[in-house]
Amino acid sequence: MNAVLAVKQYVSKMIEDSGPGMKVLLMDRETENVEFLIQELRRPKYSIYFIYFSNVISKSDVKSLAEADEQEVVAEVQEFYGDYIAVNPHVFSLNLLGCCQGRNWDPAQLSRTTQGLTALLLSLKKCPMIRYQLSSESAKRLAECVKQVITKEYELFDFRRTEVPPLLLILDRSDDAITPLLNQWTYQAMVHELLGINNNRIDLSRVPGISKDLREVVLSAENDEFYANNMYLNFAEIGSNIKNLMEDFQRRKPKEQQKLESIADMKAFVENYPQFKKMSGTVSKHVTVVGELSRLVGERNLLEVSEVEQELACQNDHSSALQNVRRLLQNPKVTEFDAARLVMLYALHYERHSSNSLPGLMTDLKNRGVSEKYRKLVSAVVEYGGKRVRGSDLFSPKDAVAITKQFLKGLKGVENVYTQHQPLLQETLDQLIKGKLKDSQYPYLGPNTLRDRPQDIIVFIIGGATYEEALTVYNLNRTNPGVRIILGGTTIHNTKSFLEEVTASGFRGRSTESSQVTPRSSSRR
Amino acid sequence: MASGCPPPFGDPGEMREGFLCPLCLKDLQSFYQLHSHYEEEHSSEDRDVKGQLKNLVQKAKRAKKKLLKREGDDRADSGSQERYESFSYGGVDPYMWEPQEVGAMRSHLSDFKKHRAARIDHYVVEVNKLIIRLEKLTSFDRANTESAKIRAIEKSVVPWVSDQDVPFCPDCGNKFSIRNRRHHCRLCGSIMCKKCMELVSLPLASKLTSASKEALGSHTSPNSSPNSVHGSRRGSISSISSVSSVLDEKDDDRIRCCRHCKDTLLKREQQIDEKEYTPEIVKLYEKLRLCMEKVDQKAPEYIRMAESLNAGETTYNLEHANDLRVEIQKVYEFIDALSKKILSLGLHEDPQPHPKTLQLQRMIRYSATLFVQEKLLGLMSLPTKDQYEELKKRRLHMVALETHGKQEEKQKDFISRSAAAVNGDAIHLKKGTVRKSEGWLPTSSISRESEIADPLLQQIDNITSFIKQAKAANRIDEVHMLQENLRQLQDEYDQQQTLKAIELSKKQAEEEEMQREELQVLREKEWEREHHKFMSRHSRTCSLDFREVKQHQHEVAKENRNLTAQALDLDITQIKRDPSFETPAVEQLPAKEHLTFTLKPQNVPQCDKDQTACLNPFEDEADTPQLEEDPANPFAKDTSPMVSFSNTALQSNKKAYNPFENEEEDEQTNGAPGSTSNPFEEDENPFQKPGGSWNSGNPFEEGSSTNPFEVEDGNDISGEEAIEEELLLQQIDNIKAYIFDAKHSGRMDEVEVLTENLKELKRTLAKQKEKSSC
Repeated sequence: MNAVLAVKQYVSKMIEDSGPGMKVLLMDRETENVEFLIQELRRPKYSIYFIYFSNVISKSDVKSLAEADEQEVVAEVQEFYGDYIAVNPHVFSLNLLGCCQGRNWDPAQLSRTTQGLTALLLSLKKCPMIRYQLSSESAKRLAECVKQVITKEYELFDFRRTEVPPLLLILDRSDDAITPLLNQWTYQAMVHELLGINNNRIDLSRVPGISKDLREVVLSAENDEFYANNMYLNFAEIGSNIKNLMEDFQRRKPKEQQKLESIADMKAFVENYPQFKKMSGTVSKHVTVVGELSRLVGERNLLEVSEVEQELACQNDHSSALQNVRRLLQNPKVTEFDAARLVMLYALHYERHSSNSLPGLMTDLKNRGVSEKYRKLVSAVVEYGGKRVRGSDLFSPKDAVAITKQFLKGLKGVENVYTQHQPLLQETLDQLIKGKLKDSQYPYLGPNTLRDRPQDIIVFIIGGATYEEALTVYNLNRTNPGVRIILGGTTIHNTKSFLEEVTASGFRGRSTESSQVTPRSSSRR
Repeated sequence: MASGCPPPFGDPGEMREGFLCPLCLKDLQSFYQLHSHYEEEHSSEDRDVKGQLKNLVQKAKRAKKKLLKREGDDRADSGSQERYESFSYGGVDPYMWEPQEVGAMRSHLSDFKKHRAARIDHYVVEVNKLIIRLEKLTSFDRANTESAKIRAIEKSVVPWVSDQDVPFCPDCGNKFSIRNRRHHCRLCGSIMCKKCMELVSLPLASKLTSASKEALGSHTSPNSSPNSVHGSRRGSISSISSVSSVLDEKDDDRIRCCRHCKDTLLKREQQIDEKEYTPEIVKLYEKLRLCMEKVDQKAPEYIRMAESLNAGETTYNLEHANDLRVEIQKVYEFIDALSKKILSLGLHEDPQPHPKTLQLQRMIRYSATLFVQEKLLGLMSLPTKDQYEELKKRRLHMVALETHGKQEEKQKDFISRSAAAVNGDAIHLKKGTVRKSEGWLPTSSISRESEIADPLLQQIDNITSFIKQAKAANRIDEVHMLQENLRQLQDEYDQQQTLKAIELSKKQAEEEEMQREELQVLREKEWEREHHKFMSRHSRTCSLDFREVKQHQHEVAKENRNLTAQALDLDITQIKRDPSFETPAVEQLPAKEHLTFTLKPQNVPQCDKDQTACLNPFEDEADTPQLEEDPANPFAKDTSPMVSFSNTALQSNKKAYNPFENEEEDEQTNGAPGSTSNPFEEDENPFQKPGGSWNSGNPFEEGSSTNPFEVEDGNDISGEEAIEEELLLQQIDNIKAYIFDAKHSGRMDEVEVLTENLKELKRTLAKQKEKSSC
């Protein structure tokens, strides 16, 4: 169930197969690539080719490739199903932005998503039962497409049966539009929210006074121990850990300088030097990143903003929330992006509230000089994830259990105001693990249903997952013995990319009538 | 949980802390347990709970707000507690998930191969068909054959499609008419218009056909002659044929074909070209490799010659060696030139080659230079003619010296032998009854043995002294040569000794029988009466009373002191062991000597052992380990039983090293040259006790086990230094690399630190060198 390991194993298998020396490995799937490959094979530049496709390839493509290989240079043609991006062992992404048009799938994206999801299933050797979110048409479509592929390629999916079959749960982002709108305080999520993680790389070029070799840094838990240990810790803990790291580093440094008298010292130094250098690289990287995060937090007054965000997301006190939002809108330190975000959260939460004062807030936004793009996005977000489309209730629980839960959540949330919010996914998965998830809301595809509690769960969120949810899944994995959960999404969102997703899906708000087309990318401030 | 919540709802009289269920007030250990407890126990309870709960919620909110204020302090550790707690819950970190098998995969190779094979078969058949036809079409002399005849032949090769069947050109779709005539492909017989017609020139045809013939291995005549006379034929035929045939005449040196056939032929041509084409760089590189191989072959031969010539030997001819040297140098120059050529390949062409190509060229050049540097430096220079003469003379002189030394040695030996005889008596007296009653005289047997061995041993001894002299005079070449001689001598001696040993063991087996009988009788008496003497003799095997042994050793030592000749020898060997004097190669020599010399004195302890047969279960095996045993005392050859005795003493001394450390040995070896009179005296005694106790176990194996130790002894000291030096040098290299790296990436502070280190290291290295040289 480890996505990263699955891909790694594929790669090492490939390298092993092709043997030592320089060989050509290809990982293609698109028809376009097949055509390029055909051209290459007609006039080969290398003496031997090992071709690996990252997904199912059609028989006709194999045939046309074979016919192009007149010089008999191809030594291997295989399918290795690594057609997704493994972010963490339990998180994968397809890096697709704007997968839907309105409420329906963009056909190209649907097929791509189906391919990615089936590739994941194949690489993990899981032939799952499928459940989907009833309120979402696209979830149903995707479920059907995946099922279709499984039926079609039944030979491939013929794995050793486990006692409890694995489960694929397909959800829709529009059911929980709150989570991607919140500021995050755990390391990985925060870095993504404020700096943006793109395939494990973060772009620091906008950081003032950045040195040349830190323009773009790699944050990968695979080979950065500090990151692996700290990615799920919150900002305060990171701060103290960074301090420890620095101290540790500095303690080492002068020691190296002082005691270099004996041969043994020299030997130790030479042996430790690469390690020392690596550590200095880690230290400078994380210090820079955390420094930049804390600069942004201060500059954008994020502590205060986040507190109100959490209040909006987790509590039901309308008047206090409204008051706080108003107050922050007056604060000049709060950026227009954050201001718009607050109003979005307010709009989502108190959409149907009797004393809804959204229009007043919108005027405030306008007076503040927030660009029209953001103002339009407020209504677009409501349209995307408003009450009308939500299948489950995001804010006010109805039955006693849920109320108690929220009460308990409240008690627990006290520990940290900034991380009170638990994504809806937590609740959903919790019920799923306990076998209490309602069939009426999340029906099975096909006649078979799961009797036992599920053990291997793959959750896929159409419209993108978030790192907050990744953290939730991580914690669920750790707190529930015997349960393994993998989270995937068409992409991994931060607020900015989520808003882009909303825009790309065609929700442009009520003022879309003005012919102005919203530009996709935008500066944050 | 320290930050656990004080119950906001409990009545003031009873304050309870921890996770209490709001309904039954049960104390639960953690949040999660409370959670699950609530769900299990109370989820079914009535809805009116809700009202109660709301009340609680209000209270909780108040408590929350209170807590919010101190959130700043709490945040950090609450998080870690949370983390800690979740650990205890038995779930698994996704990073720790158990390993999985590699994911699904599917091979299309068989499918692929099937399609490819079909395709290639088809293609090959097609090409072959066309080429066979082409060959038929070009096999006759086209230029001198009438066009009608040509046409007949062409039609016989492939049936032409009849004109009526094809009203339109199949390629471009134009209608055929008088002006747009039909043309037949000579290779497949199909019809096309003039526009779509392609032509195959005769040279191309011949190339294709000959290539395929070559491929088949049949070297028939290459092809029809190129038509040089075709101009004359033109007019004659034009009268016969129609307008179309006039058009035909234009290309009688070419063969018409359709586009399809032409494409196939062109592809085939391309393949042939590719097969024959080797890039320039590959050609040059192959040459380069060839040269390198040549060098690898010749260089060792040359080095052997040069060594021998430099040593003044006459095995090889100086001129011959010079020739070889020139030859090798030429190859080097060639390698250099070739690699330069590779480096500059394509540099002057207009589109510069790909950067990777250039890199490859640079790397080839680099490796070639490295090769030349490495090997060229290994070529030692030859002596000039004059020098060579000089060397030869010197060698002759050396040989003369050797013989002279041999005579001297004989005299010396004579003296020492007489001395040994005296000693032998003394010992005999001391050893008393055992020997006499046996009727087996160790002295005589030893002297007998030694007499036989004498010339060889003397020779060996001479040579070792020569080596020393040569070394003192810094004549390394001679040292080498002498060592070679020495080795040969030793080999021979070894052989002799093994034979003797076999003989000896046979003899011993006989004697053993006798000894055993007598021993049975005498053993007990001896244990009491002659404890002292017995002990001294058996100090190697079963020393019990160490003080007595010591005493005895003193006596031995005293006697030793009288033996001047022996002392002299001892001196030599001790000096030899001094590590600073010797190169490792030489150090091995004394070791070998030990090996060879041991056999002789062995007899003494041997007989002793035989007497203690009942005590010593290893006796029968004694011979074999003894062969390898190293008494570490080369002067044992002096044949006196006394010497052999002190030899045993020394041996036990050596054994004593085992439990101790190198330092002691160092002490010994370093101290030995200082005390010239008798270095044993001081050193032996302190070690005697442990030596004895060690020996009581299994003396023979122990003895042999010290052997390598002893040999390494000398090596160790200088070797250790060498290793340290090497290490230092390595580290200096490493640090240099780091400095370069740091400079490269502009980390000046690191550079400073590193240079500091480098200086430090160099200082240490200098110190080390001083130490090792003094």
